[in-house]
Amino acid sequence: MGDHCEQTMRRLNTYIDRELSETEVSKVKAHLDDCPPCEQVFDFQAEMKRLVRKECCTDDAPARLRDWVRQLGTEKSKPAG
Amino acid sequence: MDQRGVGMSSDFSLFERHLDALYRSALRLTRKPEDAEDLVQETYLRAYRYRNRFKPGTNEKAWLFTIMTNVFRNKLRKRPAPEDSIDQPGTDFDIYDQMRRDGMPVHLMSPEEIIVDRGFGDEVKHALEELPVPMRMVVVLVDVEDFSYKEVASILGIKIGTVMSRLHRGRQALQKKLWEYSGRPKAPSLAVGAR
Repeated sequence: MGDHCEQTMRRLNTYIDRELSETEVSKVKAHLDDCPPCEQVFDFQAEMKRLVRKECCTDDAPARLRDWVRQLGTEKSKPAG
Repeated sequence: MDQRGVGMSSDFSLFERHLDALYRSALRLTRKPEDAEDLVQETYLRAYRYRNRFKPGTNEKAWLFTIMTNVFRNKLRKRPAPEDSIDQPGTDFDIYDQMRRDGMPVHLMSPEEIIVDRGFGDEVKHALEELPVPMRMVVVLVDVEDFSYKEVASILGIKIGTVMSRLHRGRQALQKKLWEYSGRPKAPSLAVGAR
């Protein structure tokens, strides 16, 4: 693993989490374009992140909880007295 | 008490918009639908009680999550879970690296094929729920709720560096669990001397 690979790998999380500046992003991209092994790791981990989100977004709040929240917002917002 | 009747219901519908997000995160934190419902209710009651402290135009989702994670941590303090220590050092692990070392064509496979397609359906949720709470909170907030590191730092009252290290260790621990669920050799030490 070359220096470039190591530098790029250190930015794996910040890259997939979109926490890098534009300059840093283009540096990472430039390396990934030249280095298929690094690119595969990045693709895999980015896909992993998407998978976690997708798998965890399947539970919606129960209807009675939604009704309760709505009630809280409307009932108590009436002027007192 | 001052009741500003007019703006209030619209303020609250702003909060209501994040109900599904709060509920699914509450489920990951508490692991039980009844407890998740309680946690969300308490969150909204507090949001209502302290609504005048919310600055309109700022991030209401982050505000609600700040309330919820605080309520949750207070509940934990009353009823501490034994496995919630994050002081144990983790072993470096990720699925990609493990599969590559096992000589599998991981670059031709998606995480979905590796994990979900062989499994019983809810393994990602289960794996997440097994993480120690501090790591679990960070992974949920970043990966599921899409908050920035800065927002997570502010929600949990920790440093950005702590967010990053918990995220890193949390993701590794998550992959380790998923790896074990997928029925492959126990990671990482047993993989070498496989029968």
